[in-house]
Amino acid sequence: MKNRTPQFFFALSLLVLALLIGAIWQASSPSWKTYQSQFYRLAAQQEPTAAAKDAVLRSRVSIRQVLLPGLQRVDRCTTCHLGVDDPTMAKAAQPFTYHRNVGPHPVSKFGCTICHGGQGLAVDKTNAHGRVEFWSQPLLTKDYLRASCGRCHKEGDVPGVPELAEGRRLFETHGCRGCHKLNGVGGSIGPDLSEEGANHRQPEWLKRHFLEPNALSPSSPMPNFHFTDEQARVLTFYMLSLTSEQMGAYYSSVRLIPSPEFGRKLFTERNCIACHSVGGTGGRTNSPDLAGVTKRHSIGWLDEQLVNPEMISPGSSMPAYEMNSNERKALIEFLNIATVDDARQILMGRPKGLTVEAALIEAGKQNFSRFGCVGCHGLQVQGGLPNPNSQGGEVPSLLHVADDYTKPEVAAIIRNGKMPPLADAKGPAPPLYMQAWRQMLTDEEVSRIVEYLWSLQPKKDTAW
Amino acid sequence: MNKLQEVYRSIVRRDPLSTEKGKAELVFLNVWLHIHPVKVKQENFKVRHTFYLGFISFYLFLILVGTGVALMFYYRPYPAQAYQDMKDLQFVVFLGSFLRNVHRWAAHGMVVCVVLHLCRVFYTGSYKKPRQFNWVVGVILMLLTLGLSFTGYLLPWDQLAFWAITVGTNIGGYAPLVGAKIKEILLGGHNVAEGALIRFYVLHVVVLPSLVVLFTMVHFWRIRKDGGLSRPVWKLEGEAAGQNAPMSQPLVQIGGAAAPPAPLRKGTVAAASKDKTYGLMEVVTGKPLFETIGPEESDDEVFSFPYAFYRETIAFLVTLISVMAVSLIWNAPLEELANPAKTPNPAKAPWYFLGLQELVSHSAFLGGVLAPTLMVGALLAIPYFDKNPSRRLASRKRAIWVFTAFMVVNFVLIVVGTYFRGPGWALTPPWVHVTGHE
Repeated sequence: MKNRTPQFFFALSLLVLALLIGAIWQASSPSWKTYQSQFYRLAAQQEPTAAAKDAVLRSRVSIRQVLLPGLQRVDRCTTCHLGVDDPTMAKAAQPFTYHRNVGPHPVSKFGCTICHGGQGLAVDKTNAHGRVEFWSQPLLTKDYLRASCGRCHKEGDVPGVPELAEGRRLFETHGCRGCHKLNGVGGSIGPDLSEEGANHRQPEWLKRHFLEPNALSPSSPMPNFHFTDEQARVLTFYMLSLTSEQMGAYYSSVRLIPSPEFGRKLFTERNCIACHSVGGTGGRTNSPDLAGVTKRHSIGWLDEQLVNPEMISPGSSMPAYEMNSNERKALIEFLNIATVDDARQILMGRPKGLTVEAALIEAGKQNFSRFGCVGCHGLQVQGGLPNPNSQGGEVPSLLHVADDYTKPEVAAIIRNGKMPPLADAKGPAPPLYMQAWRQMLTDEEVSRIVEYLWSLQPKKDTAW
Repeated sequence: MNKLQEVYRSIVRRDPLSTEKGKAELVFLNVWLHIHPVKVKQENFKVRHTFYLGFISFYLFLILVGTGVALMFYYRPYPAQAYQDMKDLQFVVFLGSFLRNVHRWAAHGMVVCVVLHLCRVFYTGSYKKPRQFNWVVGVILMLLTLGLSFTGYLLPWDQLAFWAITVGTNIGGYAPLVGAKIKEILLGGHNVAEGALIRFYVLHVVVLPSLVVLFTMVHFWRIRKDGGLSRPVWKLEGEAAGQNAPMSQPLVQIGGAAAPPAPLRKGTVAAASKDKTYGLMEVVTGKPLFETIGPEESDDEVFSFPYAFYRETIAFLVTLISVMAVSLIWNAPLEELANPAKTPNPAKAPWYFLGLQELVSHSAFLGGVLAPTLMVGALLAIPYFDKNPSRRLASRKRAIWVFTAFMVVNFVLIVVGTYFRGPGWALTPPWVHVTGHE
């Protein structure tokens, strides 16, 4: 043994050297280098002269990257996808294919991953395409790629992606916020969806989940809404677009699309015509006529007016509608072109004029659906969602709420929440329960919802 | 040529290594090697005596310093940047991934080896008089090692790091009176955020490594001053009950394998005096502090060069090879960017604190206060309360049982915490996949 120590020592030294060489070899033969030399050979074929071919072949093999501080990302995809902006590569196979129809989103300004997903920092296929355990945004498949538009175009209509607006509409009208938070608003029974677009989700998983919530999450209390296939697809689009990433000013504010059509829709939905006239048509009050309003006031003034009417015109009876910047922009776009004919059409489409009481009830109805009450209590307040181990076994109907409670009692339940009484006192807590809404609803909103509920009560003989 | 020779002679002044004087001078006149004795006892270097665990811990520390400094060139201690730098190391820095792997695995290895070293020292009874204080220094070094690993854990700023440190500092926060304050000072706030990252970074790259270096110097120095590497228990057979020679016994030699300082002056051999201290032999008179080696077995002694140096270097090479091989096969984990809004379920502390977390899950007081205080307190107190002078396993049954039970409980708690705790900290075997949960 004693004599062999030097040999042992020597052999181990060699082993260290071998491991070091192994590490260096592993580090110096990345796959992107192979792709780059392939690309140069491909590009050289198109060069006319031998000298030019040589020059292409001698191009530097190096990592390419697009730095996108505004999107807080660095995309190295072009290290392998070398032909994205080279029209002569239109017919080349991947990863060298030319990217058609980039339109207003050049790679130099937008990179790749903001739309396609994947891991921009990586330079090997598996990691870069993001189909790895710890990357939350894998590459999107072609069918759902356009969902990414919603990452920046968070509001209004996006041309060519009707799914986003439709998905948002479904989300807001089917009471999803009753259980799910989105951007800080909503319930807490289900998971927060503010980052659902960056949550490892595969589109197929989401779609399946919408069609049959318990198929993939057996313990989920999410009720089956019996969505159609198309509705599930559209909601999947909307989910994939959800992100809390902060995009730089260039990406988030300038390029939103405030279309007059969207504005017209808002004008109709918010029932502006009830108070305002356009060119003398509509409106019953002394509210200003809106024809040519964009010529009388600056766009900035109108925007402020829509945010806070009291402040801009003291004594104004106009309510403060909660509209986001894009909705306000769209509304102003519509006012810019609104004519008497528009007013007539909108009036004709309206069932009947609203009284002040009716308007309050209408507002209550909107709150009822917007804050997600319909999610459990149903579009017709009929209740009936299964809720195991609660008394009656389902979410209560609100149709006869006036029989059991007074208005202040109902308002208190909405504000403070309520656990459903247990059918079996020893059983597990029911998955669904009334949450406390006082953080999310103002007293005024609560009282409007109460008024709305009372308006639904069957008329009774009040002669006592 | 003569000039070159002159330069060489000015640097290396010892005699040729073929001579005994040369071998002695190699150790004696060299600032890096002189922590060694000139001569060592062969038996002390037996693998089955120490398993070289102390050496390996030290070598891992050297590897960690080397790779750590290299990693510092690429690392910015600010949340989003820190994570991006990890990704850059993983994907585009030449050998970056390897470097990080080596650092990570060596760090885990060091925690393991330091603890095993502690166990070895306990089982061989090497903490006993006169080595009590060196045991204390060793315990401090172990705590510093845990501190280094814990502070380094946060630096990648991924989900794993963020939540492990959140849980870990919460455990610390349970300590009465000072806990909350210490947590706040450590984190630079009440939550793990930018402030915590820069503090952990400074602790990790400057404060704790410096302390480790200082205490290691004391630790090594004390090995020499306490009589060198401890004798294997089997060499103590002849002595009564295998205990260290009592202090009162006259000194023949001290300092492990302290040879008579023969090479000091040409032609003179200083005889070991029975009433002079070794270090101050020509300055003062008086009895030496300690004497640990029996007067026999000088035949067991050999020169440190090359016997000890070969063995130490081989231990180093084996350590290096193991870490490199592991690093070539397994990548250091890197999860998603830390997200304070997204708590993993369950959130776990670094593995070596999972025993404590396991206790915390039953009682915050037990896991956060009582257990860590008792553990550290008991470890520090061991050499002063264990009055049994014997080093032989057979004659210290009770101590062995208590210590073994302590270590096994620790180990079991850590294994349960690591592998058997699922969502909601419920008992979940690792082979059961919990669905519908994130």
